[in-house]
Amino acid sequence: MSDAIQIERLHYRAGKTFEIKDLDLHVPAGSIYGFLGPNGSGKTTTIRLILGLLRPLSGRITVLGDPMPEQHARVLARVGYVPEQPHLDATLTVGELIDFQSAFYPRWDQARANELVRSFELDDDQLFGRLSKGQKAKLMILLALSQRGELLLLDEPTDGLDPVVRRDILSALLTYVSERGSTIFISSHLVHELERVCDWVAVMDDGRLILEAPLEKLKQGTKRLVVMDAPAEIINPPFRVLTRESANGGSAGENWVVGDWEPGMTSYFEGVGASVRDVIDLDLEDGFVELLRSFRDVKGGVRR
Amino acid sequence: MIAMFRAVLYSQWKWSRLIVVLGTVAAFAIPLLSLQGAARADRGALRAQELLHAVQAWGALYPLLATALGLLMAIAAWAADHRGRHIHALTLPLERWRYVLLRFGAGFVLLAAPITAVLIGSSLAILTATLPPGLQAYPIALAVRFAFAVLVAYAVFFAVSAGTARTAGIILGVIAAVILVQVVASIANIDLNLFSAAQTVLALGPGPLAVFTGRWMLVDV
Repeated sequence: MSDAIQIERLHYRAGKTFEIKDLDLHVPAGSIYGFLGPNGSGKTTTIRLILGLLRPLSGRITVLGDPMPEQHARVLARVGYVPEQPHLDATLTVGELIDFQSAFYPRWDQARANELVRSFELDDDQLFGRLSKGQKAKLMILLALSQRGELLLLDEPTDGLDPVVRRDILSALLTYVSERGSTIFISSHLVHELERVCDWVAVMDDGRLILEAPLEKLKQGTKRLVVMDAPAEIINPPFRVLTRESANGGSAGENWVVGDWEPGMTSYFEGVGASVRDVIDLDLEDGFVELLRSFRDVKGGVRR
Repeated sequence: MIAMFRAVLYSQWKWSRLIVVLGTVAAFAIPLLSLQGAARADRGALRAQELLHAVQAWGALYPLLATALGLLMAIAAWAADHRGRHIHALTLPLERWRYVLLRFGAGFVLLAAPITAVLIGSSLAILTATLPPGLQAYPIALAVRFAFAVLVAYAVFFAVSAGTARTAGIILGVIAAVILVQVVASIANIDLNLFSAAQTVLALGPGPLAVFTGRWMLVDV
């Protein structure tokens, strides 16, 4: 499978405090790729770099086979983008914004736009500035989908919306993907939401990529273990130890959160004089939180 | 590209229609008002002199109107993009210089209305007035000069308005530095007149702002 987005050794700095360093990202074509991270982790900056709105200090960005930002006009004709904040002119009506947008995209799908206006219950004559937050989000999704892009870049598109609007938007996205086989790159900190739709996830924190993996692999491989008689030092485990802490002051063993776990790995503990009393599945949100904790502990110099 | 231009033109019309309408009315009215109660054929040399004074006084309004139109249209052209932090414009699938050209062209097309209004207003004023002997009307020259002034004002303010706050800060900084140097030179009794030098370079022919200076006469000898 080829990559819709390929980022290699990207380096970008904004001011003195924030930088994205050595970022490698591969978004498979046709995937729904969830880009997770807490606020301020660099998700929006990365999306802006992908769109050519920012210039990296070094590294390479390839979108739909073309280098960015060099080929931005060519690439943007095939990319739909929904930014985090509404960016459209408040004084134009829904109909005027649709007309404006349609003039710039040769593959514009007016029939889809009309259909989405109806299904999203938008009023053509209403000013963008007078729309509710949910209606604005719906209109921006409508514009992105009607461009018939091969890639949709969505920056927290459902953040702060009520569950009904979120469901409408996600449903429209899934319909679009099933019809066109396009790639969707969706950033969010709403982990549960991404868990329902994504097949790949990447986790970012403080400008660094912590993890990039198929969602199923991440969910299958991230477990909470209850370990009895755990050794103080762990030598070359076949899995990644994300966190470990005593349960009930140590009398009930230790709770470990591990990544890249496979069922046969309990034998590792027997080899070091320990045993696994329980293996507990974690949902994506728990896995995400533990990953972040682990990354921050390592960055902060906490030794495991 | 035509569809894009039409889309940009429509949005710009919506943002600046009040400016265009008021500017067009003013541009139409000024020539008519400048010859109000003008000249009959029986007026002598002294009356012709009075008429020229009146036309000259009204003539000061043309460069002011051109400057105001250029400034307001340039601000209107970029205001929406500035509010959206240019995200929408920068994610449209066209080269950035093309987008700037579309915005510039749309503004200038809209400015054709007040320019045409000056031509029509001047021509009507001349048709309805009788000029004293020795005086000539120059409606086309006046309209062409107004068009140049509007274009220059629009181009200058468009360029400034297109820039970031940092660009505006640099321009204001340069102006402040010039003023500061002039003030220091005055205090130190140094023979330096930067304002005069700037005026010579910019406002006297063939300076870029020369079109705004001098007499704007619909009727002259």
